[in-house]
Formats: sequence, structure tokens, C-alpha cells
Amino acid sequence: MKRNHSNLRYWRRLSQIACFLLFLFLFIKTDYSGTNELTYAVNILFRIDPFLAASASIANKTLIWLMWPALIFIGLTFFLGRFFCGWICPMGALLDSCHKLIPHAREGGITRLHTLKYYLLGFLLIAAFWGLPAAGYFDPFSILVRGLAISIYPAINVMTTSFFTFTYQQMPVWVNSITEPIYAFLRSTILPFRQNYFELAFISLFILLTIFMLERLERRFFCRNICPVGAFYAIISRFSLLRGKGGSKCGKCKNCMTVCRMGAIDENRNISPLDCNLCLECVDICPGSKISFGFQQKEVARPSFGISRRKFIGTLAIGTALPFFLDTRTMAKRPDPYLIRPPGALPEDEFLGRCVRCGECMKVCIGNGLQPTFLAAGLEGLFSPRLNARTGYCEYNCTLCGQVCPTGALTELTLSQKHAEKIGNVFFDKNRCLPYAKGIPCIVCEEHCPTPDKAIQFREAEVLNSNGEKVSVKQPFVVDERCVGCGICEAKCPLPGQSAVRVTSAGERRNPQNALPTQSLLY
Amino acid sequence: MNRRDFLKQVMLWSAGITTAIPSIQIVPELLAAEKPSPLVSHATGKDYYNLVAQVLEPLGTIGNFVKTGDNVVIKPNMAWDRNPAQAANTHPQVVKALVELCLDAGAKKIMVFDRTCNEERRCYVNSGIQEAMAAIKDSRLKFYHPDSRKFVPVNIERGKAVRKLEIYKDALEADTYINVPVAKHHSLSTLTLGLKNSMGVLGGKRGQMHHNLGQKLADLATVVRPKLTVIDATRILLRNGPQGGDIDDVKVLDSLVASADPVACDAYATTLFDLKPGDISSTVAAYKLGLGEMNLERMNIIKA
Repeated sequence: MKRNHSNLRYWRRLSQIACFLLFLFLFIKTDYSGTNELTYAVNILFRIDPFLAASASIANKTLIWLMWPALIFIGLTFFLGRFFCGWICPMGALLDSCHKLIPHAREGGITRLHTLKYYLLGFLLIAAFWGLPAAGYFDPFSILVRGLAISIYPAINVMTTSFFTFTYQQMPVWVNSITEPIYAFLRSTILPFRQNYFELAFISLFILLTIFMLERLERRFFCRNICPVGAFYAIISRFSLLRGKGGSKCGKCKNCMTVCRMGAIDENRNISPLDCNLCLECVDICPGSKISFGFQQKEVARPSFGISRRKFIGTLAIGTALPFFLDTRTMAKRPDPYLIRPPGALPEDEFLGRCVRCGECMKVCIGNGLQPTFLAAGLEGLFSPRLNARTGYCEYNCTLCGQVCPTGALTELTLSQKHAEKIGNVFFDKNRCLPYAKGIPCIVCEEHCPTPDKAIQFREAEVLNSNGEKVSVKQPFVVDERCVGCGICEAKCPLPGQSAVRVTSAGERRNPQNALPTQSLLY
Repeated sequence: MNRRDFLKQVMLWSAGITTAIPSIQIVPELLAAEKPSPLVSHATGKDYYNLVAQVLEPLGTIGNFVKTGDNVVIKPNMAWDRNPAQAANTHPQVVKALVELCLDAGAKKIMVFDRTCNEERRCYVNSGIQEAMAAIKDSRLKFYHPDSRKFVPVNIERGKAVRKLEIYKDALEADTYINVPVAKHHSLSTLTLGLKNSMGVLGGKRGQMHHNLGQKLADLATVVRPKLTVIDATRILLRNGPQGGDIDDVKVLDSLVASADPVACDAYATTLFDLKPGDISSTVAAYKLGLGEMNLERMNIIKA
């Protein structure tokens, strides 16, 4: 076999590695860095995603200008085809790099499901329109960043810290003189500042791993068959100028067909621009150098998507009908009172429509307060952020979650807006609260309450303690007008287990239905 | 590897491990019989940086507390995500001046840290102390966040309300421990001063300290023994403590109070709020444990 000396694929690999490293860098930088404002555009990966832009815009019936960078990639795809999938996408780069590590279930004879992604895209967009936003469950970046932020990154920290705790506690001094500087270096560079804990850590990991397990069936299975971003780009690529051209007169080696990771080359060596991600592997491998890429729009017929009209219309019909079932659940009438949304969150429907479940806000939350929701907000609210104040509270002077949100589901707040932003209200459980229940002095909640005029106040009261002695204690209570619902009182309550003071969504600014009872007008 | 080598390795490793286990014993301090009346220095001035040297002058300057080659811990209060004007944290210039005095006195290593209440990095930055420390270009200064691995369980032999606490290793092992609290209002302990500031070296669940706080702080003071306490009363928080947030609650006093006696220092600083030493339960409890003087008339108060 004649060796071909073309090396276009090395350029592609270089681009993939560079983009992936940039992605990791921005991921690590999605953190407080000593200033109130983030210094890097850490959410850029989501803002260049045209599928998420479309879904969020359709769900909100408004153009989300925050996502304008997606237009750049839509424009580029008209020229270059699905180059994004081959050259930029960090998920694609990861799959390509792991390809050799994942054994294939079988060779050849693979089920062709490549039309599935078009149905899925159609379903997701129409469902978003009618009120079932599910884009974040299938978007590769949402899956990737969520898996990293909620599961893998904290796990890496557990592993590293346990190792260096072991060496620190169990190893002699000379070992520590080597390991401690390494640990200090890792801490100051790639490790998170603190150990974070997340709900749904395993599910997030499992979803991410599934994409890798699917590689067993077929190379880039997710990209070929499921990825809605890929589908979006595929539709545009139908009109793209840059295309691959297979040789018409060549031998029967079919190397190009075998090597194509996207299954874009058919028996007759036609390269479908719908699937080709311009990895250029075929150009390099073709023994006769028959394959070339060029701006040759007129010579190649526009390929069909291969979808059945009947099935597609059926999919749209399901996507239209399904959202109406959502309003039959109790939560449509009575939302979960402990579902506290981050500061700056839009009203619930709009919020869920825009939220792409990317996990950026949970990654950046310096108090580890934001957690992925399980079913409290319904199936359509899975992985959306909520404040779990017992795990961590909302830091009074912090505005980071609004800064990283790529779609504006969380509005970016100024510091003074943040101080006035009410996300909930606390209630005391007098059966648990020590000064009420046991006559034991405490008021840790009052100490931590961050509003300048404290929302938690106390009254001196004479009570009997459990020994029957009359003692004077300070009993806390909340001033609703001042409470912002940050939950630091719930986080710091020294009781084991459940806190004696709990944040609820009552009184949250974004929902007038949730207003607290007052005797007079507040403002 | 043969059996002999394997066993030899095992022996060597386990020998290393046993010697590496930190074992810290706090020798109970002898009850001082009849001490001479403690010196308490009170200095007033607008230049907070120079005020530190001024307040230490009557106590025999920093050289009386820090010797060449000492490992020094300076423990400011930087527990809250508040700026210097809001008076919730020790003033950065006070901390900076102390660090530089210790450096000049020939300290080998100076460690500055606090276990914060709000998010650690925000507190360090917003308190202004991070910036002040960064301005000191000396590798002997270590300004860091506590490392969760380094809290050691310590038996409080003389404790009346607590028997065991987790205390930061560096604080226990320092040759000289300098406590630099900020004086401010606190709704449970009335005021937070030196003894309360020592809570910043505690690990574990500190919230539980609040049940019988005064006695527990005194118990803690039996093992965390500062050689020097410098109370920052350059500006004091009168209400809504310990974190404040409203400038209207702040009163500017331009004062520093220093003493080698932690109880006397707290007791005297109480008077700046027009309160009596006996109003602060931790001062009373510590006095009863013999940790220092609380009667103002038995102190030697010098206005520097």
C-alpha cells in the first residue's frame, strides 16, 4: 500500500487538543478569583451553541441576545460544514481520544440510527415551545460540564486529598518533604478550593459515561445519532460550501469508509456533508490520494436527511401534546415550598425554559449551596439549580451565578441588586430551636445573618430548661421584610441533622403568588 | 523482593509511621500564685500603622515577645466578608505593622490565618488583609488558609464546659502566639474581644461553642495562650455585631489596647464600650480559672 504523506489530520488534532485545553482552563476558572467579577468568559462554550440558543429562545418566545456568539458558528458552518464537531467540540475531542481505550462490541454491520438526531432535535424544539424544556438533557456540553462539575471534579479532589492526607498523617517526614509541595502546587493550580458535595453526582456521572459506553457500538455514536447540536449543524451543512469529494475511479480498498468516524462515506465513496465532520482522516489514508476537500458546491447534489415525513410529523405531534400533561401534576397548583431558585432567577416557567442545565452556576457557587434539582420541579426541572441551604448558603456579597449563566435564566445582578434580592424566607421550628425547646442559649443564626439590619432578631425570655431551672435566653425570630432567604442561618444552625431554621421559597421576589402575609403595604 | 527484604521494608515503614504521628500534649499551666499587676497599654492615634509600635512601647516593644528564630502566629479576626470600614475584621494596617515588627525582631516564620465564617477567600480579600500581606515582600511571612488536615484534637484538661477541641496545629506549635482581635458588639457574648477571637483556630463544629459560650471560651483559653494580645479598637462596631455591615453602627476610637495578659486586655477593652469587665461572661470565667486579671484597679494601665 502506498503511504500518503498528507498530514492534515495533525492540524485537526492540534485544534482539538487546543480547544479542549481551553475548555478545561475555562472550567477551572469558573470560580471566585479574588474579585467580585469573573475575569474570563467562562460560559462561552454554551453561548456558541446554536441549539441551546434556539431552544432557549423558542421556549421564551424571544431572541436571547446573550447567545449572539452562536451566530458566528452558524455562519461558519455555512462555509465549512460540521467542522465544529471535528475540530472544536470538547466532547468530540474526548471521544476521539478515548476511542482506542474503548473496545468495540462488534465490527461492521452497525445499525444506522443517524436520522434519530433529527427527530430528537425536532421534538426538543417543539416541546420547548409548548413548555417542556429538555434541551439540557441531550446537549453534549450540558452533559459534559454537568458531569465534570457535579461528579468528576469533586471526585478528583477527594482522591487527591485522601492520598495527600494519607501521606501527611502516615508517612515519615522525608516523604512529606516531597509530597507536601506537590500537594500545595496542585491546590493552587488545578484542584478546587474546597471539597464540594452534590446531589445527583452519580446520575450525572452515569449520563456522561453512557456517551462513552455507546462508543462500543459505533465510533462517535452520540455524535452520529443523538447529538442535537450535531443535528442542528447537519441541517446547515446541507448548504455548506466546503465539501469532501470521493474519488469516482479508484480501487476497492474502502479504507475511507472504514476510517470515517462519522459514517459519512457510503459504498460509492460519496461523502455526506450532513455527517462529515471534516476530520480529514480519509484524505490522509486514501492510497490513491483520490479524496479532496474544496469549495465545490455545484458538483455535489444536496443530500437528503433520510427522515420519514410521517415519523417526523408524529414526533412533532408528541412534542406538542406532551407538555400539556405537565400541568396536570400537583406541582402546577402547589410548587415545592423548599424549591429555592438562585438569586436573579426568572419566574419559574421562563427560568426553566432558559435554563440549559449546564451546571455552571453550581460549579461557581462559592458556598456549595446550589444543587441540581431531582424531581422537585418535575421531569422538566431535572438538574436545574436550587439552593440547598443545609449544604451551603448563598453568600451575601457574591453575584457569580448570574455572571456565569449563559442564557440569562439567572439575571446578572449588581451587588446592590443582589443585596435586595429576596429568594425566600426563613421559618423557625420552635420544637427544635434550642432557646425555645431546651432553654439553651445559642443564636448562631442571628450572629451570621448578613443583612446590615439583621433579619434575625431575638427577644429575651424566661424559660424553664430541661432541668426545670428558670433561665433567661435569647429567642430568635425573623423579620420578613429584611430576610433575603440566603440560608446562612440554616447552614450554620448547630443542631445535628435538620436545621431548626429553614428557608422556604415564600416571599421570593420572582413569584407574586408566593407573597408573604403582611398587615400593610411594604413599599 | 524476597521475604527478608519485604519484612525489612515493613519494619522501616512502620517505624517511620509511628514517629510521624503527631502527639501533642498540653501541659496544664501552673496556677500563678500572686502575679504582679499586669501592664495594659492603651494608645490613641490616627496613623494605625505607627500606632502598633506606640502601643507596644510600654510593654517593652515587640522584642519582649518575639525572639530571633521564633515561629510566630499572628491571629487577626478576618472572619467576615466585610470591608475595613465596616469594622467587622481587624484593620489591615494593624496586622501589617505587627507582621513587620515581628520580621524586624528576627522571627523565623510568621503565620497569619483565620478560620472564617463567610467564604474564606472573600473574607481574606474583603478584609483588606490579603492586600496588606501581599505588600510585604518577605518569604518568612506565610499568609494562608487553614488546611483541614491540620486540626488536632486536644484534651482540655482544665476545661469545665468542654473536654476536647480541635485546634489548628500551627497555633499550638508556635513559639509566640499573638492575638489581634477587633473589638465589636456580639449579641450573645455582648462583645467579642481576644478570647472570642481564639475561636478562629478551632476546627469542627464551632456553633456548639455558643451553648455556655463564656465558659467554653475560657476553657479554650487554657490551651490557646497568646503571649501578646493587641485589641484593635481603631473603630468599633456598636450594634448588629459580629459582622455589622452598616457604617452607622461603627464608632471611630483610633485606639489600640495591648497586654501580655489576655484577660486584662479584654477586661480593659470592655470599658471602651462603657461596659464593665464583669459584663462579659468569658472574661469572668477566664479570671476564675486564673488565666489573668479582670479587676481594673489591680492593673497597671498606661496611656501610651
